[in-house]
Amino acid sequence: MPHHEFECSKVIPERKEHAVIKGKGEDLTSCLPKGYLNTIPGSISERGCAYCGAKHVIGTPMKDVIHISHGPVGCTYDTWQTKRYISDNDNYQLKYTFATDVKEKHIVFGAEKLLKQNILEAFKAFPKIKRMTIYQTCATALIGDDINAIADEVMAEMPDVDIFVCNSPGFAGPSQSGGHHKINIAWINQKVGTLEPKITSDYVINYVGEYNIQGDQEVMTDYFKRMGIQVLSTFTGNGSYDDLRTMHRAHLNVLECARSAEYICDELRERYGIPRLDIDGFGFKPLADSLRKIGLFFGIEDRAEAIIAEETARWQPELDWYKARLQGKKVCLWPGGSKLWHWAHAIQEEMGVKVVSVYTKFGHQGDMEKGISRCGEGALAIDDPNELEGLEALDMLKPDVIFTGKRPGEMAKKVGVPYLNAHAYHNGPYKGFEGWVRFARDIYNAVYSPIHQLAMVDISKDEIPTDRGFVTRRMLSDKDLPVEITGSTVLSPYTGKFDSVSHLRTKTYPDFPRAGDAEEIIAVVEQGVQA
Amino acid sequence: MSATAKQAKTSERKYQPIYTSNPLAEHDPLTQERVGQLENYIMKHCLWQFNSRGWDRRKQNAGILGKTAQLLCGEPVDNPTPLEKCYWVDAVCLDRAYRELFPWITTLPADEIKSLMHTLHARMDWLTIDGSLNLELTVQNY
Repeated sequence: MPHHEFECSKVIPERKEHAVIKGKGEDLTSCLPKGYLNTIPGSISERGCAYCGAKHVIGTPMKDVIHISHGPVGCTYDTWQTKRYISDNDNYQLKYTFATDVKEKHIVFGAEKLLKQNILEAFKAFPKIKRMTIYQTCATALIGDDINAIADEVMAEMPDVDIFVCNSPGFAGPSQSGGHHKINIAWINQKVGTLEPKITSDYVINYVGEYNIQGDQEVMTDYFKRMGIQVLSTFTGNGSYDDLRTMHRAHLNVLECARSAEYICDELRERYGIPRLDIDGFGFKPLADSLRKIGLFFGIEDRAEAIIAEETARWQPELDWYKARLQGKKVCLWPGGSKLWHWAHAIQEEMGVKVVSVYTKFGHQGDMEKGISRCGEGALAIDDPNELEGLEALDMLKPDVIFTGKRPGEMAKKVGVPYLNAHAYHNGPYKGFEGWVRFARDIYNAVYSPIHQLAMVDISKDEIPTDRGFVTRRMLSDKDLPVEITGSTVLSPYTGKFDSVSHLRTKTYPDFPRAGDAEEIIAVVEQGVQA
Repeated sequence: MSATAKQAKTSERKYQPIYTSNPLAEHDPLTQERVGQLENYIMKHCLWQFNSRGWDRRKQNAGILGKTAQLLCGEPVDNPTPLEKCYWVDAVCLDRAYRELFPWITTLPADEIKSLMHTLHARMDWLTIDGSLNLELTVQNY
């Protein structure tokens, strides 16, 4: 096993089994770090807790819901507005967050009364919102508050409201991933099958594991609607509580983030016979293949091909403009979980960069299997890294840019490595054909920003050149490129709008006839003939 | 599509090993080279081989690679259930990619294609299940 031991972690020898370097001829039977285990004492993890995973990642993107944390106010503060899962209802779920504000006296005397009072107050404050999710936290789990009993009591008193209880306190798993699991299973156990939907198409999907980061869901849903597909629910970005109660009526589950939402897909397959189709919304080829697969499943591949042709013609020249300028740039791909495999191969193939390292904060060994498979030789793969290991890896690998979260990202900036926010994005959405170009633009802007050269000059001791002016990105990126690239009239940097999402909310879609419609027409014609 | 929830039979999810060593190792260099190309495409571009549990991976590998072999041989493929149709979707994509990227496969007679795909199936089972270092594959619940 090609384990990698960090100098800084020699005092924590168990850490060695959590990092590998993919060597020549290595495969998954010889090269895989440990994963999804409790963080080793002494290692300052970058992980979130199971409550955070349940609420912050999966629960809160549901848009028409009062999300209330039963616990100290700090728990909800730390999960408020740190993601950019927008919604088409004026971002209700981002604007408002609720906590029962449990204090020491409640730990001693119980907090159930406090919870009920808070629930009633919240519904009164927002009378148009009739749905609520209550999130358990460590403190109220330890004192044994019966949240379900309180929720049942309120629902009995207020028949027009519906409440979902998410029992995933912070300690309920090694990382936020434990919370993903718990809320997936809780939702299918408590809510799926409790409401019947109106079916409007012959092709009905649940879009699962999609969180509408800066509009990703709306971009993808646009493609589906253009194909005449009814998106019954999205689990959970921009998703509606009641739509998600009807998941059992879909014909197909289209799964985007297998890390956070495969559980509900697998259970829907097991319990209701709805198949699971894994897709990739990132990258031209993976996205095109994904649309084709959905088209194939429903027998409407021609509709997928029409979209692929139109979008590729529009955006390929702009992607290629960036690809020409990003050739060989070294990338550390250090996201939370799924993006290490969503992006690892696609950014190398379609943007020309080289992934020198992947890591995952809360991923499982399954995520590393995908990520390592999609990387080339020499890639360093790290599970649940700590800050010192991150710094040591940056020093060793000398990447041109890293894609990661805010905490390690800010740390990287201090050592002169530009970072892009892999969780919430810089200027997303990054899904879709246009989104992929926006991602390439953000990478380009990060890699070639002149600020990184300026920031590394110490005016207290370094000599400041006075014979050179300020350089621009283009001066840096184009200096060694051939004239057929720099002077190309076909290739172009991004020409889309600042906001690529809002216009989708008022768009109208083609009205595809349904199979039942044809039967109705025949019946009407036959009646006419008989008359 | 049934709207009535069914309960899982966890007894069917017990890990049953098939391979105890790399099944590709015993083959000639040409087969190893060819299977290596086919395997590399799957590992770089596909996700279906990585469902989280071993029993699931076994079904995925058998379903998709079995139908891909039929498609490569020009045989009709039967999809009586939505689950079978889902395997077929991934198989169609794989069949197309193989024909485009590895044109040598279209020159092989049907029995050689079947044999090659059988070896690829064994290799995938080894890589993703029996030889995998992933400790979560034997968990019986999702």
